[in-house]
Parts: sequence; C-alpha cells; structure tokens
Amino acid sequence: MVTIDKEKREKALQILKNSNDSKLLTHLNACVRCGLCAGSCMYYLAMKDAKFIPARKVDLVTSIYRRYLTTQGKLMPALFNAKDLDDKMADEMVDLLFGGCTMCGRCVKHCSIGVDISYIVKKGREMLAAMDMVPKTLQSTVDAAINTGNNMGIPTEEFVDTIQWMEEELVDEMQDANARIPLDEQNKHIFYTLNPREPKFFPLSITAMAKVFYAAGESWTLSSKNYDVTNYGYFNGNNAEATQIARNLYDEVKNLHADVLVLGECGHGSRANRWEGPNYLKKEYEFENITAVELMAQYIREGRIKLDKSLNKELMTIHDPCNLIRNGGLLKEMRFVINSAAENVVEMNPYGNDNFCCGGGGGKLAMSEYNERRLKIGGIKAEQIKKTGAKVVITPCHNCVDQLVQINHTYKLGVQIKTIAEIVADALIIDKKQ
Amino acid sequence: MIWYQWIAIIAFIICAIVLASDLVKLIKLGNPKDLSRKQGNVPAAIKYSFTGAMSPMAKESAYQHLPTYIGGLLYHMGTFLSLGLFIWFLINISLHAEMHVAIAIIFQIILWISALSGILILLKRIFKQELRSLSGADDYISNILTTLMQIATALFILNTSNEAFYFIVMALFFLWLPFGKTKHVLYFFAARYHLGYFYGWRGTWPQK
Ligand code: SF4
Ligand code: SF4
Repeated sequence: MVTIDKEKREKALQILKNSNDSKLLTHLNACVRCGLCAGSCMYYLAMKDAKFIPARKVDLVTSIYRRYLTTQGKLMPALFNAKDLDDKMADEMVDLLFGGCTMCGRCVKHCSIGVDISYIVKKGREMLAAMDMVPKTLQSTVDAAINTGNNMGIPTEEFVDTIQWMEEELVDEMQDANARIPLDEQNKHIFYTLNPREPKFFPLSITAMAKVFYAAGESWTLSSKNYDVTNYGYFNGNNAEATQIARNLYDEVKNLHADVLVLGECGHGSRANRWEGPNYLKKEYEFENITAVELMAQYIREGRIKLDKSLNKELMTIHDPCNLIRNGGLLKEMRFVINSAAENVVEMNPYGNDNFCCGGGGGKLAMSEYNERRLKIGGIKAEQIKKTGAKVVITPCHNCVDQLVQINHTYKLGVQIKTIAEIVADALIIDKKQ
Repeated sequence: MIWYQWIAIIAFIICAIVLASDLVKLIKLGNPKDLSRKQGNVPAAIKYSFTGAMSPMAKESAYQHLPTYIGGLLYHMGTFLSLGLFIWFLINISLHAEMHVAIAIIFQIILWISALSGILILLKRIFKQELRSLSGADDYISNILTTLMQIATALFILNTSNEAFYFIVMALFFLWLPFGKTKHVLYFFAARYHLGYFYGWRGTWPQK
C-alpha cells in the first residue's frame, strides 16, 4: 500500500490547480449528485453496486478539489462534501478510476447536467500517476512502448519477419509478385500504423489492409520500429509518457517524409494520436492525421476501390468503439464503409453514440487484476450481440476485437469478430490490370 | 427598510458577486485550446447541446426516470419563479403595488407543486440507499434551503405578515447558493457549453 505524504498530495493537487482551464473548472463544479447516470454505466448495470455509479467516480476527484482548492471546503469540509486525500481515498481512486471505469463516456451523454465524467476520471488518473499509483500491469505496457517502440515489446526482427511472411501471403493471394507491404520507405503518401496485437496475434488483418492499399494503388509504408498506433499513456494518466509515445509516431512520419499519418484500427490509439497527439506535443501537425476508417471511406467515394457486398452475405452487426464513435465522430463514416462492404448488417440496441463499451477500454485489457470485472461487464455486450442474431461482429478496433474474442468465448456466442479492413478486403473486386 | 430586508439584499449582492466573478473567470479562461484539426461544427453542436441533446428522449437520465425528471423540471421552475419574485418584492418595497389575485393564485399553485417536488426529491435521497450513499450534507442543505425558500415565497404571497420569515430564508438561500451544489445554476450552462464544444469539435454532435 502506498502512503500519501504531503509531497505526493501536492503533486496530485497540482493536476487540479491547473486552473487556467475553464473546462476543468466547469466539470469540477457541475455535478449535482442526482445519481441519474447510474443506469448509463455498464459497471453499475453489471455489478449492481452503488460504488460504480459514475457520479461516485466524479466525486472522488471533486471532493478533493473542494477540500483543498475551495475556501468553503477548507473551512467547513463536512458541510460541502469535501474530503481528504489520504491512503483510503487514494486506494478507492485506484479501484474505481482505473478498475471501475473504461472512460467510455457513455454516461457523459446521458448526464442530466452534462458533466464530462470520463474527463474527470482522466484527471483522477493523472493525480494517481503523479503519486506513482498507476497499476503495475498498465504501467508495464506503457514502459514497453517507451523502451521498445511497441506496447507488446515485439523485437524488430520478429516484426520484420511477420511482415515479410504477410507480404508473401499477399503476393500469393494477389498472384502478383509486385504486391508489397513496404517497410521504412521514404516519401510515400501514407504512413500506416498497427496495433501490436496485429503482428502478434492477428497478422491476417495486416494482409487485409495491405490488400486494400494494393487495390487502391496506394503509395504507403510501415515503419519497422515505430508502427504502434496505441498509446497507453493516455490511460495511465502520465502525460509526459503519453507525449513521448505520440512523439515517436510524429517523428517517424517526419523522418520518412510521409504526407498522411493513417491510424490503424484502434480506438484509443486513434483518439490519442488524432485528438490528443497535437495537444501532447503542443503543436498542430503539419501532415494529415486520419483513421483507417476515413481512408477506406475516401477510397470508396473516389472509386479507388470497388466492392461487391454480396461477397459478405452473412448477418453482421457492428460494435462501435467508444473512442472512434462517441468520442471521435465517425458514426456515419463507419457505417458508410461497412454498408458498402456488407449486404446484411443489423444494428445492436443501443448503438452508435449510445453504444455500450465492449468492456475492454480504458486500458482494461492491460490490467489483468481486473479481468473478472472486465468479463462480467462484457456480459452487457454479449447480450446485445446475442439479440441481433448476427454471425459476425465488425469493429474497427483491435482492443475491442480482443475483448470481443474473450466475450465470445466466455458467453459462448459462436460469432466471428472482424475488423473493417477484413470486411472490406473480403468484398474487394481486384482489377488485375493495374 | 427593515433590518431583515437589508440582510436579504446584502446576501443577494454577495451571491451575485460570487457568481459573477465565477462567470467572469470562466469567460476569461475562454474555450479549450485544442490543437487537433477540427472535424465538426462547434457552434451547431453547442446549440444542440442546449436544445436537442436536452430533450427527454435524448437522455437516459430523463427517459429512464420520468417521474424524477418531471419533478426536477417543476422544482427548477419554482426556483426560478421564486428568484424572479424576490426581485419583484424588492422593487415593490417602494412601489407598494398589489399583486392581482389571479396571478397570486397561479404563483401559489406553481410554488406549492414545486416545493412538493423538492420534498419528494429529498425523500428519495433519504430513503433510496444508493442515492443516500452518494449524498453529503451539501445535498441535503441545498435541497432544504431551496424548498424552504419556495415555501417562504408562497407563504409571503399568501400573507405579507410572513415577511420576516421570508426575507431571512431568502438571505440564507443566497448565502448558500454560490458555495453549495446550488452553484450549478451557473455551472450547468458552462457544462452544456463545454460538452457541445467537445462533441462539436470532433463531429459527434449535432447528432444526425
Ligand atoms: S447524472 Fe450527472 S449530475 Fe447527476 S449525478 Fe450523474 S454525473 Fe452528477
Ligand atoms: S465513462 Fe463509461 S465506464 Fe466510466 S463511469 Fe461513465 S459509463 Fe461508466
């Protein structure tokens, strides 16, 4: 157990003292503890325990704010729900902010006031990071990304071998000796990124995207060192580490002189680079920074790839990754791509901006100590999938894929989980003349 | 003017100054400084945040809890009516105008329904274990003072001999308002604004 001394407390409070932020100030003061957000959170719904009500997570942070940073809280803490940041409080914060929230933001949209609950949870995580209280499992994922360039610590040789193997697969499939998965090539239009789970566990998704690039006649490259789209620094609350990881990608795009950074199918990775990256680095990116979903939509609109959706006949449903849809605005774009590539798509209920998180967000897949909780809350997604009757679940996020695969197994759903690149690749009409 | 009227006026001024300075601070700090490339329409999303997104059909906090939602609406209606009436009563100290009986009756009805909503919301907080676990002194004090000031307003309309009670309750309410959770009278609007800004920047809102 970590002991909260004065120095640690000061470091944590520094996060909240950043009072030149009107958004922070607003959300620290807005919750009225009506409790009406309870039913919007899958943790509360699955665990049936009041400690998981979103407002409770907000209150952990805001009660500290009131205690140390408001006059009324300093003078009369008991009257204003102001609480000490002590060992007990810090432990509760770890349990609920790291272990009881995926920062999916579902409750935010449904809050009666409009409190950005996940933003406050993130601030709470930053406070814990400042006190060295990040769960070791999550921290080791971040350390791996910083020390090796990817969060799974895959050695470069192993990665290069996998890519070469996938390139051979591509050549075979396309029956074209010129089909390529380029590595470390300069002056290409696109710099593409991967979730390290792809080379490690799902290499065929790399071939699927390579097939899309091949069909589009794209000029693209991967990096052999800095290809990792993920950024668990977004989740561990250590902004210096998040900045370092984002900078690795930024620098690599510059080194290779690419025009567009395309973020592979990863929800939080897309968020961390597309939306947070420029703020971490405190600069606007000189190059375009888009997701693979947007790129595929562009290809379809411009006629650069042709799809035959009758090649995807099975009943399919969509899992909306929170960081791409609710927190990334890609609701319509993603459906445009999927409906162009698949014939028989049915929505979950609820879906889109109201969709439930798969349960694997917020860095949960890296925190094995919360596995039991993670799979229990995944029951909500399992139920949603079951009700659609679909045989395939499509999602443009490898983190979600990982959680969905585990849910599939745990709840015996008997479905296939696919990324969008896989669905699009399956529907491609390849023009052999190109 | 009588001493309790002065106390209420001073409390009102303190409340206004604290809230105004909070508002000025928020305005001075301005919009979030976001260096990512904007994807949506921020003004449209802010507008949606205050309109479509507030519709009871858009929020689970409303459509899953309709009785509480309606109670809350009525309660807030009574609060704003009471605040408006307070200003009127202050002006009326020198005007000595009579309130029309029909208007007085309508106000009474609104205020008693509103106060009843406040009491029911308080009872829910006391008796619902989960809500109680979220609550602290601020939640009870804020509710009691707000409900009490509505009752005091209704009683004052009914009979001006309740004047001392009315002005003292109003003074207590104003002294609490900018410090307790009642300060959401300001932060509610700021939160809706920021939410609209956030979702608008990323193209999530206005929801299509
Ligand atoms: S719905 Fe919003 S205001 Fe109400 S308790 Fe939840 S976070 Fe707070
Ligand atoms: S952000 Fe998601 S997981 Fe966290 S409290 Fe809200 S609904 Fe629950």
